[in-house]
Amino acid sequence: MSELKIQNLVKNFQGMDRPAVNNVNLDINSGQLVAFLGPSGCGKTTILKMITGLFQPDNGNITLDNESLLPIPTEKRGVVMVFQNYLLFPYMNVNENVGFALKMKGVDKKTIDERVKEMLDLVKLPDIGLRKPKQLSGGQQQRVALARALIASPRLLLLDEPLSNLDAHLRDEMRELILTIQQKLNVTTIFVTHDQEEAVLLADKIALIFDGELQNYTSPKNYYEKPKNIKAAKFFGGVNFVKADFTDNKIQSEIGFCEYEGDNISNLNKKLFLTIRPENIKISKNTEFDHNSYQGEITSVIFSGTHTRYKINVNNVNLECSLQSVGIDNIKESDKVFIHLPKDKIWGMND
Amino acid sequence: MGGERLKIILSLTPPLLIIITLFFGGIFYGFLQSLGYQPAIGKYELNFSAYYNVMFSERYAKLFWSGLALNLWVSFASTFLAAVFALFGALAIRKTFIGKTLCNFIYSLNLPMPHLVVAVGMIFVFSQSGLLARLAAQIGMISSPGDFPVLVKDKYGFGIILAYIWKEAAFFFIILMSVLQSLGENFEELAQSLGANRWQRFRYVILPLVMPNLFSASIIVFAFSFGAYEVPALLGVIYPQMLPVMAFEFFLNPDLNARSEGMALSIIIALIVMILVVFYFWLTQAKIRKD
Ligand SMILES: Nc1ncnc2c1ncn2[C@@H]1O[C@H](COP(=O)(O)OP(=O)(O)OP(=O)(O)O)[C@@H](O)[C@H]1O
Ligand SMILES: [Mg+2]
Repeated sequence: MSELKIQNLVKNFQGMDRPAVNNVNLDINSGQLVAFLGPSGCGKTTILKMITGLFQPDNGNITLDNESLLPIPTEKRGVVMVFQNYLLFPYMNVNENVGFALKMKGVDKKTIDERVKEMLDLVKLPDIGLRKPKQLSGGQQQRVALARALIASPRLLLLDEPLSNLDAHLRDEMRELILTIQQKLNVTTIFVTHDQEEAVLLADKIALIFDGELQNYTSPKNYYEKPKNIKAAKFFGGVNFVKADFTDNKIQSEIGFCEYEGDNISNLNKKLFLTIRPENIKISKNTEFDHNSYQGEITSVIFSGTHTRYKINVNNVNLECSLQSVGIDNIKESDKVFIHLPKDKIWGMND
Repeated sequence: MGGERLKIILSLTPPLLIIITLFFGGIFYGFLQSLGYQPAIGKYELNFSAYYNVMFSERYAKLFWSGLALNLWVSFASTFLAAVFALFGALAIRKTFIGKTLCNFIYSLNLPMPHLVVAVGMIFVFSQSGLLARLAAQIGMISSPGDFPVLVKDKYGFGIILAYIWKEAAFFFIILMSVLQSLGENFEELAQSLGANRWQRFRYVILPLVMPNLFSASIIVFAFSFGAYEVPALLGVIYPQMLPVMAFEFFLNPDLNARSEGMALSIIIALIVMILVVFYFWLTQAKIRKD
């Protein structure tokens, strides 16, 4: 029911030498939970504010259910934003805060009271309705802010860094709560974060944004296995990058000829990079592998408790391989080894 | 109690003594005078007859009560209107360059400007021989400057109210600008995203957020205008007369007996102002405790 389309969105601010938001395109399906992920200042909040109508875009369009939001004033969009710092009205108690949106709509007092109670139950905070915001902990304030946002059944819920002001254990709890509520109410939701792990744990899809530009918009899994570019791969902990040439349907890389099965093969440029997760590289001291097998030298072995990391020099390219537990007993620094980059695990990117 | 504390108390004693002597000594002596104690003319007995005279004697009662009413009216009207003007002014221009410039201008010019100067300015602009009256006559809006409404030296205190609005609105404006600045726009944006229209944002967000500051500033302004002398002296009429002017006239009276009445009236004014100030402190303390 609430499908959001963002088309060619641009926003400039005075005094910035690049657009704060630069030609962003993305679609969000009804009921999806999407994360905007990116470093500080990359334009996440600015996009949210354009969706709510607090900023007007310089170019582009935003449609909800095929109707442009741009001519509609903020208060009529049905798009509710929860701000980074909760912003509970200090002069109102919890009940009044939560009931605010319905009061603005002129809903009668009895209905408001009922809905407020429902919402406070939903965020698991019954019995604190008469307290003032100052008397609440950070986690409680966050939940009240969420209840206040949800009471008027918004078409779209925008959460600006909902977890960043909470300490670690509260963050886990709150994350669970957001997920549960989002699924229960099936409200289309965008949440902003600069924490990659948080995005992966919560989101159906992640929009990765750098310097106002959308780098990649796909499922969390794809960021690990099929990133669109080196920036995206690196943000998600990718470390292995190998330069390659794509000619005559064959990939010739810095470390040698490479068999490839990726489904993006028809979109690859002549110059590209190959990447593979450290945990997908196999190594062996003696046996050659049947394809994508290369020879290299171990430059370091680091045991981290749950994993063992091997750094391998292959034809002057440094690759990292990660094995569970203590790894392979007889492989040590300076050893010559065979490494294997399975063709179904290796991934090509155009830049 | 450590030696440190003793040292602090000892080192504070001389200035404190001076303040206490000058301030409370002065008030105490004034209070004695208001009770009829005037050694200069050989009066030593203490009684409340000066208070009675001021408030209830046939000679002064009418003047006193009408003066009190005028005082309350002028202080209330000017404080309220100044606050309202300042609030709408601040809201209208807070995000503009003009707003910031105006704020600076007021800081550096209007705030330290003596009330006396403002009062003279009022006469110059608003009186029947003033700028506006002549201008209106010139362009034919009125047939002669004498037809201009009596805005200065009028019995409802309009001139005084205008002068106070001029001055106090600037004070309110500066306070409000700084409050609004520190609040930022987040609360309003949030309210808007929750469906509040412009009026609702004013009524349910801005007003309650600035109210505590606006209210305590109002008490100060009210108390100040209640006890101030120079503007009503310049812009007021003989009857009804505002209390500070009336008190001063008692002192100008060559009959030294009138001193006691003047002091009694001053003490009454001071009492009212003090009650307001105490109320103000109680309010701000209550707010600090709550925070
Ligand atoms: N009202 C504004 N006026 C001018 N510049 C602005 C304004 N709002 C944001 N910017 C600029 O636009 C850029 C993007 O800001 P934005 O707040 O969207 O970043 P963000 O991704 O939300 O960062 P953070 O994670 O720190 O919240 C920043 O460089 C910021 O300085
Ligand atoms: Mg932000």
